[in-house]
Order: sequence, then C-alpha cells, then structure tokens
Amino acid sequence: MLNQILALAWKDLKIFFKDPGAVALIFLQPFMFILVMSYALAGLFQPGKGQIQLLAVNQDRGIQAAAILQKLDEMEAFKVETTWEGQPLTREMAENLIVKGKRNLALVFPPDFSEVLEQGPGPTLRRTKVLVIVDPTTSSQFIEPVLGTLQGLIERSIYTAMVPKGLDYLFEQLAPQTPLEQREAFKAQAQEAMSGGLLGGEEPVVTLERTVPPGMRVEKYPDTFQQNVPGYTIYGIFWIVTLLAGSVLQEKREGTFRRLLVAPLNQAVMLAGKLLPYYIINLIQLVIMLGASSLLFGMSLGHSPAGLVAVSLAAAAAATGLGVLVAALARTEAQVGGLTVLLLLTMSALGGCFVPRFIMPGWLRTIGLITPHAWALDAYQDLLVRGYGFQEVLPKVGALAAFALAFFSVGVWRFRFE
Amino acid sequence: MPDSVIEVNGLVKRYGHRVAVNGISFSVQEGEIFGLLGPNGAGKTTTISILATLLPLDEGKVSILGYDLVQEADRIKPLIGFVPQELALYPTLSAWDNLAFFGRIYGLRGKLLKERIAAVLELVGLQDRAKDAVRTFSGGMKRRLNIAAGLIHQPRILFLDEPTVGVDPQSRNFIFEHIERLKAEGMTIIYTTHYMEEAERLCDRVAIMDEGRILALDTPKGLIGLLGGGVIHIEVAEENIEDVMHAIRNLPHVRAASSQGRRLKVETNAARPALLELIELCNARDVPILSLEMLEPNLESVFLHLTGKHLRD
Repeated sequence: MLNQILALAWKDLKIFFKDPGAVALIFLQPFMFILVMSYALAGLFQPGKGQIQLLAVNQDRGIQAAAILQKLDEMEAFKVETTWEGQPLTREMAENLIVKGKRNLALVFPPDFSEVLEQGPGPTLRRTKVLVIVDPTTSSQFIEPVLGTLQGLIERSIYTAMVPKGLDYLFEQLAPQTPLEQREAFKAQAQEAMSGGLLGGEEPVVTLERTVPPGMRVEKYPDTFQQNVPGYTIYGIFWIVTLLAGSVLQEKREGTFRRLLVAPLNQAVMLAGKLLPYYIINLIQLVIMLGASSLLFGMSLGHSPAGLVAVSLAAAAAATGLGVLVAALARTEAQVGGLTVLLLLTMSALGGCFVPRFIMPGWLRTIGLITPHAWALDAYQDLLVRGYGFQEVLPKVGALAAFALAFFSVGVWRFRFE
Repeated sequence: MPDSVIEVNGLVKRYGHRVAVNGISFSVQEGEIFGLLGPNGAGKTTTISILATLLPLDEGKVSILGYDLVQEADRIKPLIGFVPQELALYPTLSAWDNLAFFGRIYGLRGKLLKERIAAVLELVGLQDRAKDAVRTFSGGMKRRLNIAAGLIHQPRILFLDEPTVGVDPQSRNFIFEHIERLKAEGMTIIYTTHYMEEAERLCDRVAIMDEGRILALDTPKGLIGLLGGGVIHIEVAEENIEDVMHAIRNLPHVRAASSQGRRLKVETNAARPALLELIELCNARDVPILSLEMLEPNLESVFLHLTGKHLRD
C-alpha cells in the first residue's frame, strides 16, 4: 500500500516539475505578491472607516484620566470601552482580551495620573507612565495615530492643569532685584515647569509606554514583512487547490483515472496518493516563502522551530484537503477554476490575509473563524510576531488538522470514482 | 472444449431510465478472442467496463476466472488488464515512466519491473522510444503504448475497448499483429469494435450488439453463414408482386425471398449469379427496378441483415 502511494506521489511530482508554468505559478505568484504588497502597503495603511475600539483601564484616583478618555470617546474615530460584560476593566482583563484576540489595544492610566498632572512646580517633578498594551501583530500604521491622538490629549491636559500652577510659581519666584543670571535661570525653570517637561529639556511628566500582554515575547516591533508574509503565505499555499483538483479532473478526462480504477488499488489510497505530492509541494512552498523572507528581509521566524513545523504541516494539510474537496465537487476543469477563485479569495479575505481581522466588524471576525486561513494566520502570527511557543499554537494546529480531516472526509465521501 | 473464464448471465445496466445493457448472457473460453461488435451506443463499452470492474452492474451475474464480479472484485483486478478507448497515458512522462508507474501500481518492483517494461516495449515495438516523452509519439505509437500499459502485469484476461480508434492502417496492422501474438501466447482477450474487418480478422467468436442486446453470437464464419452467399435488396415499381416473388424463389441461386411493400429481400447461395438472374427475370416480366443493393457476405452485411442499420450509423 505504501509503495502504491509512493508510486502515485512520485509520478505526480514528476509531472508537476515538468510543467514550468505550474511551478512558476505556485512558487512565484505568492512570493511576488508578498513583495509587491509589502512595499505598497508600507506607510499607506489606513485604519478604515469603522471606529477603532480601545480598551481603557482607568486606575486614576483623580479626574484627569477620565477627562481624557471622555474626549477620546467623543472623537468619531474611537470607541473607548472601560467595562467588559458589565464589569469595570482591570489590566488583567484587558490583557486577557488582547491575548484572546478580541481586542488589540488597551490603555492603562496609573493611579497617580491626576496627581502628576496637577502637581505644583518644584525642584523635582514627579513622573508617571500610561501603558499602551498592544497585540504586536497590530500594524504600526494603525497604532501610531492612536498614540498621537492620546499624546495630544495628554499634553492638553498637562497645559491645562500645570500652567496655572507654573505661573503662580513664577510670580512667587520673581523679584525686581534679582540679578540677570538668576533671572535667566528662573526663566528657564519656569518654561520647563509650564510645559510639563514637554519641551525636550527633560523627560515629560507623562510618557506613553508601549508593551505587550504577558506571555508574548517581542524583541522588536513587527515590520512590514512580519505583518504581510504570514497572510500572503497562507493565501499562496491554498492555491494548491487549483493544481490538485485540476490534476484529478485531467486524469478523469484523459482516462488514466479509469485505468487506475481497474487496478487493485483502494480508493482512499488512490486519493491519498494524489494528495501527497501536493502536500509536499505546499511544504516546499512554505519553506521558500518563510526562508526567503528571513534570509532576504531579515524577518524573524520566532523562537519555536517545532511550532513552525507543526503549523506548517497542519496548514498544508488543510490546503490539500480543500483540494480534494474541490476535486470531488467540481465536474469540469472550468468549474475547478471558478470554484477555486471564489473559495480562495473569499476565504483569504475573511481569514485576514488581505486586511487585518481586527479592523473588521465583530460579526465578520466571527465568520472568519470558519476559514482555515484565519487559524493558520493567527498561528503564524503567534510564532513570528507574538513570540509564542509550541504549546501556545497547539490549539490552532488542532483546528487546522480538523479542517484538513473534514475537507478530506467530505471529499472522499462526495468523490465520484466512476 | 476449454473452460469458460468469463460467464455472463442476464447482465443489465441502466443509466437513469435508459437501459444501456439489456439482459445479455454469454461465456468466454480461455485463450479465445471474444469480440463485441456493434455501432456506437450499442452497449459494448458499458459491458466491457462492467466486466473490468469499472462500473457496478444493476442486475445479473458475472463470474470471471471463477470469482464473482460483485463479491470478489479485489481478486479479479490483479488478473485482468484493461486498455480503455482513451489514450490513458501521462503525456509528459516517458514511455518507460508510464509503464513503470502502472507496473508499480500492480506491485511490480526492481528487476521484475524492468524485465516486464522491456518485454512489453518489445512487444509493441517501442523499445527505441522508451525514454521519449509520450507527447512526442504519433497516434499509432500512443495506441501501442496504451496496450502495453494494460499488459505490464501479465494479466490472464485483457479487455481491449476499441483499441484502433483513430489509428492509421499501418499502425492498425501492427496492433493486429500484437493481438495475434498475445492470443498465440494463450491470453484471453475481450475486444470491442465497430469495425467488422477487425472482428472478422481477430475474433474467434463475435457477439453482435445493438441497443443493449446481443442479436447474434457465433464465429465470424457462422455469422456470415446467416447470409448464405449474400443478400440482395431490390425495390421494384410494381404493386402486384406475388407472381414475381414466386418466380424469384424458384431462381437457381436464391435461397429465400421476402417482401415489404415493393421492397424485396433476397437471400442467395451466391450473390453475383443470383443478381444476374434477378435482373433477367425483371426484364423478362417488364418489372422496372427502382433501386438495387447487393450485400456481400460479411459481418457488416450480417449486422444490416439483423438490424436494418449500418454499423457506422
């Protein structure tokens, strides 16, 4: 039985590599897509027309953070969520929601936020940090406008809260008899005090500190390749469906399938033999995509080779399983073409290969979960961007394996062996 | 009389409401070439496809080499070879690679596989083109390789479904020689065709099929014997032909005669003398002849005689 599978697989590999067009399509097309789209989208990212949902954890004992959050919420572009399912948000809850992929950005205002903003001038200023917890897969083109807006609002609050106190300080300090050198020194101190340290002379009293939820290891923030390569790689590997289903229908058309049906060959073995070479081609494709991105563009492949292998094996299985299903459902090669384009473009888009899923409406994000693309993409992002390990991606590997099994089983069930 | 290697009883196959094979029965003896002759749509390919385990039967019973076709198809498969009507080959692979692939599917390995490939390539005269891609072959060469692929595992029974379709006369003769060689080696062959010359030349026995039924089954000589020396169809411009019919039946070379309106069907002992006698009779009785057709004694004429249709209709 194994020899028969190997014979079938070896034959199809030979046929595949004798077709330069197919080889070029399957390897070059997704790679070119990654290259072009990565460069095209770098710096051009638009967050979309929908509101950006921001989780906000307000630990502030005063009123300043609440005021900033209210202003942020009043802006059309943002929707600030300070509660979740009726409960006030805590930092742990916010981090959990980001880890689960329900949201991708949270702001944590510290307890002393108002005290720092409202402090009077003195020889030393108290400082604090607003934490910006981000899913590292989130595009920086999406995060930067959020941070910029927040920074502006904080600066406004600083001026509003600190300037009157700074002026008081100035009046108290100024005296007409003061020598020139002393006056200049006082002026510089007052200017610094009035700006809350924002003029660059010292560290600002409030800084935004970008971080990730616990468990995620990010050595540097993802670049355009880390953000685009997983998506377009997933998009690319699923095009194997066209080759696999087309090959099955070609065998049916040319009569070789009938010849095989007469042979002492189990039907599941026959389909497994058809599937195996395309599975191998898929794996080669993944090695080329990820390897080239790492070697040529310095893209990090994460910290878990085992996780990468597991996700790649499962994703390739789902792709080739879908190929068997399409081969079973399509009656002609033209149907294969139409069905493949329809399925793959829809699934890729829903799965987040073209547009990040976090900017999609909630209902569309939920629908996206019925595609293997979403699970594969999330798993690759876990490894390449979030810095997760083998254990963390296992549930997603399981989901991809379930997709593969379901596609293959329905495919075998619906396959017309006549 | 050798044992039957194929027994078919009351075989029925339907596609929806259409009955493609309608209760046929026959048996095939070991070592014979058994022909299924009939026009397109007669049910030949459906019949051979069922026997080759490709299609399920709806009714009837078939046993091949003692195994029941429905219950024991797995035992039958290694013992039979099938050459489909299509060129069921991988055109981008070489002849050798094609044969090696089909050989491996049948469990052949190593030295035995190489020997079998060499043997079948030699049989079909393609040993010099073994390493060439099949797409570079002529139509006749592809047909020969198609047959070779069906022989790679040395089957006891070979099913050939119209193996000469679209083949030039030279290649056709080449194929005939291969088939005759296989027969000489003792292989049982089931052969479908709509070319009566092929059936006459190759087959030990021929079943003439039309519309899913077997109309006649015998040796080619026996079937041709149905026509005696030949049949003459004649149409005359005479309403009252009873006297003429009587006179025709008494002609020396006429065996029998029948009429349908003004159309007469004359079975002869020898067609050409009988034709002269008929013309003389009509002239003598002043019966105008509107049309005349002489069917030489061959399977084409037998088919026309049995069905009123030409084989290539």
